[in-house]
Amino acid sequence: MAQVKKETGSSKFSVKKLFVYLLLLFGSLASLFPFYYMFVMATRLNREINQVPPPFTPGADLVNNFLKVLDSIDFFGAMWNSFVVSFSVTIGTLFLCSLAGYTFAKLEFKGKNVLFVMILVTMMVPPQLGLIPQYYIITTLGWLNELKAVIIPGLINAFGIFWMRQYMKEGLPGEIIEAAKIDGCSNFRIYWNIAVPMTLPAFATLGIIVFMHVWNDFLWPLVVLRDPSVHTLQVALRALNDARQMDYGMIMSGTFWATVPLIIVFLLFNRLFIESLSEGAVKS
Amino acid sequence: MSKFLKLAGVSVLSVSLMAACGGDESSDAATNGGNNNNEDNSNSDTTEETIGDGDIELVFWEFGNTGYDKLIEEYVADNPHVSINLQNSDMNDMHDNLFTSISAGTGAPDITMIEEAQIERYRNAEDAFTNLYDHGASDVEGEFLEWVWKNGENAEGNFLFGLPTDIGPTVMFYRTDVFEEAGFDSSPEAVSELVKTWDDFESVAKEIYEATGKQMTDAGELVYNARRDQSTEQYFSPDGELIIEEHNQIKDAYEYTSSLLNEGLVGDIPLWTPEWFAGMGDGTYATMLAPAWMQGVIKDNEPEEGVWSITTMPEGAGNWGGSYLAVPAESENPEEAYKFIEWLTAPEQQLKAFQGYGLFPSAPAVYDMPEFKEYEDEYFGGIATAQVFSEAAQAVEPVFKGSLYYPVDDEVKQAIDDVAGGAEPQGAWEEAIERIKRIIER
Amino acid sequence: MEKPKKTRRMSEKKSTALSAYVFISPFFILFAVFGLFPMIFSFYLSFFRWDGLAPMEFTGWRNFQFIFSDPVFYSSIKNTFLIGIMGTAPQIVAALFLAFALNSQLIRFRNTFRTMVFLPYITSIVAVAIIFGVVFNNQPFGFANYFLSLFDISPIRWNAEYWPVKIAIATMVFWRWVGYNTIIFLAGMQSIPKELYEAAKIDGATVFQQIRLITIPMLKPIIMFVVFTATIGSFQLFTEPLIFLGRGLREEGITIVAYLWRDAFIYNSFGTASAAAIVLFFIIITLTAVNLLITNRIGRSKNLG
Repeated sequence: MAQVKKETGSSKFSVKKLFVYLLLLFGSLASLFPFYYMFVMATRLNREINQVPPPFTPGADLVNNFLKVLDSIDFFGAMWNSFVVSFSVTIGTLFLCSLAGYTFAKLEFKGKNVLFVMILVTMMVPPQLGLIPQYYIITTLGWLNELKAVIIPGLINAFGIFWMRQYMKEGLPGEIIEAAKIDGCSNFRIYWNIAVPMTLPAFATLGIIVFMHVWNDFLWPLVVLRDPSVHTLQVALRALNDARQMDYGMIMSGTFWATVPLIIVFLLFNRLFIESLSEGAVKS
Repeated sequence: MSKFLKLAGVSVLSVSLMAACGGDESSDAATNGGNNNNEDNSNSDTTEETIGDGDIELVFWEFGNTGYDKLIEEYVADNPHVSINLQNSDMNDMHDNLFTSISAGTGAPDITMIEEAQIERYRNAEDAFTNLYDHGASDVEGEFLEWVWKNGENAEGNFLFGLPTDIGPTVMFYRTDVFEEAGFDSSPEAVSELVKTWDDFESVAKEIYEATGKQMTDAGELVYNARRDQSTEQYFSPDGELIIEEHNQIKDAYEYTSSLLNEGLVGDIPLWTPEWFAGMGDGTYATMLAPAWMQGVIKDNEPEEGVWSITTMPEGAGNWGGSYLAVPAESENPEEAYKFIEWLTAPEQQLKAFQGYGLFPSAPAVYDMPEFKEYEDEYFGGIATAQVFSEAAQAVEPVFKGSLYYPVDDEVKQAIDDVAGGAEPQGAWEEAIERIKRIIER
Repeated sequence: MEKPKKTRRMSEKKSTALSAYVFISPFFILFAVFGLFPMIFSFYLSFFRWDGLAPMEFTGWRNFQFIFSDPVFYSSIKNTFLIGIMGTAPQIVAALFLAFALNSQLIRFRNTFRTMVFLPYITSIVAVAIIFGVVFNNQPFGFANYFLSLFDISPIRWNAEYWPVKIAIATMVFWRWVGYNTIIFLAGMQSIPKELYEAAKIDGATVFQQIRLITIPMLKPIIMFVVFTATIGSFQLFTEPLIFLGRGLREEGITIVAYLWRDAFIYNSFGTASAAAIVLFFIIITLTAVNLLITNRIGRSKNLG
């Protein structure tokens, strides 16, 4: 590795490389800007945000705006609920999807293709109309205003199964599994001791996506989590909206601080990513 | 529905109030033996609280800044058998949740606030609500403005969905500096005299444009709304027929708006955009035809006092916003729920809601109360603003709207937007009618 | 197959099949409880007239007849295709290149770039709406109009004109999802042995040759995945048109899901909304089938890569 790095090292200047950097820089700035602007708004008064052209540098009301948020909603209580929900759904999804993905990628059984296509078909139904019947199910189960009303349905993830299957299909060499079978390993042991450690980048990616998605989702939580004691962050932040006029400074302040944990989570998963990568390098 | 006055001010105020009252609240709970979990989250203050210790708990959904928590405290003190669980959420979210609950037949609260525009959605769903006439609402009918009351009834007038809380009577806000620059006397009386009719509005607009290069108002939308609200017949007849083509009032409103747009006298600044807010502060437009609750928005965007003033709208007034309190049929205590909302909407409480959060009263008795009459606002040049609005409130004409009122209205607005973009008015109108018919056919 | 082995194989096969069913059962059980009923309900509703509140009224095929006679429904299908292609196809290509760059040993600050590229996925939709409202503003000061004015192009009404609406929404789609697909490609690229690239470099392969000859073939299952999910995703486009156009949803930019959402929740017409949902469902199924057929033929491989 070290040698390789030396040869391809970054000391050499080339137009091609400059081009790549410029492209990345432009892409990153375009990606960053709305995020940055979220921060700018969190530091400004409403009146300043409404100016034309809008302000592009941070103002003086960072603390002030956040105090207003804390005054209006139970921010940290809601953050805890968000954490419980996102963490449970992520862990549950990673386990269920990888297990099912492994099954579809590596095990032979009757009806495999039909069942897999059924999973894919569930992705094709637009979810918008399911709201009322789904709400009805939750109230019938008596789950209204309980976090599990968001967690349990959140575990259904056809996307995740599809992803894990695709990744494991290519990323898991058949010979290793065959060898483990000959050693008498059960299917679950093979999954747990071989498949999982060998496909960590897929876990990290799915984990990031699921965690972010659940953390930011508000459509469904809004419907079933009505009592403020069970509000997740996104639901609680909605209550900052006034009837007619929005105090964007305050709203963006809440939104911005609600996003910060996501960046930390992203970086944590990214580490898992890199660690699994170097592990792979050692193996090979 | 000025649930928002100056948010900054309100929040600062409630921070200090909370600091002062925090101790009291917990000791109250302790002495009453109340063990309400929710009060442990002391800063959930504005989103929810159960007030009182009574065995009969009423769940009450509200939106915006109403300050009803203070009034509820008064009520439960006099009615110790009741406790009220007040849950605040975003306006659209609250209505969406109400719709879902009613549709699925479970999960609706005992009392819900319904915004004036949203009530149209439930016009045909009498089963889902308690008829307040069954609980004696006809006794208080006389306390409210007629048009507001009628709007809370079904078309036949024998079913009452809700009791009115606040309203949004519309007036003409105008910039004194722009009027002066154009050489006009900028006092409210003079402007009212100057812009008495819609023809005046057009000719003054021309003069202002020639003298200052500024446009008369922000966008076609509010001009159209103003004229629409002065029509005695609008989109639907009480038996649900589309009558938009049967009479000329709506078409006239549309053509008037279009001609102002074509002459360039009206701006093309969509409402609620940053440039619209900014326009209030830098005087891009001279007037705004808007309801009472717009005061807060204007104050927020133009900090300087005495620039904006208020006068009556040409040829009458209209209404935009306001709410009703309804009791979903699901409630197990409709009697208690009704007693509470009747109390909450009584003139004395409406006055307090006005003083606290600027909710404009729907009960004309309040308009004669000295505390209300003498309410002056330095910001608008020290005039008795409440009186201007109450005159407007009394000038509103009752009109039947119908369950598809707002989807239809949206299509007319789209036509106006097309005209602002250069479309030919007659063609845009015909297309809108075409779309409206398809909506109704669904 | 020889006879003595068969029985042993059968039992092994059986036990494998058994564990397979156990492993996938959680999905199907959860789906049966929370997903199936709403799905069936939609199908059922499409034959009724229902405003969500009053009792339902059976109307047979009327809802389908209605939407198929509604010019706006055709516009919504057309818009969905156009915006989907404009927003998704370049996005997948860009994501592939970005992932390649971010995976390359040559690039420094890879972690920083990775985080930044992913930011759109977690940026608040309210902030996004405000920013895009400024960029694609109808007034001359809007960024896009200002830029065009440098070329003497007069201001465009981005939220009302035929192509500008689609360009604006497609840009938004591109922006919001490119980082997401980059991260997915990146994960796939982790499983490609670095030695392959080293060997290719020694043989003097250019970057494009490396992508064409190593990355793409090795990434095939992942590319399948991205194309498949992005196709479904672009047919279910909803958030972007809604926040860009507001609840009015003009015909120039309405998508199929926005159309059915508006029917249900603005017009209170759940029957026609469900009918539109079912039409959309069949459009997606047909397209995915075609999609799979083409990719399989090109790749000459069996079921889904």
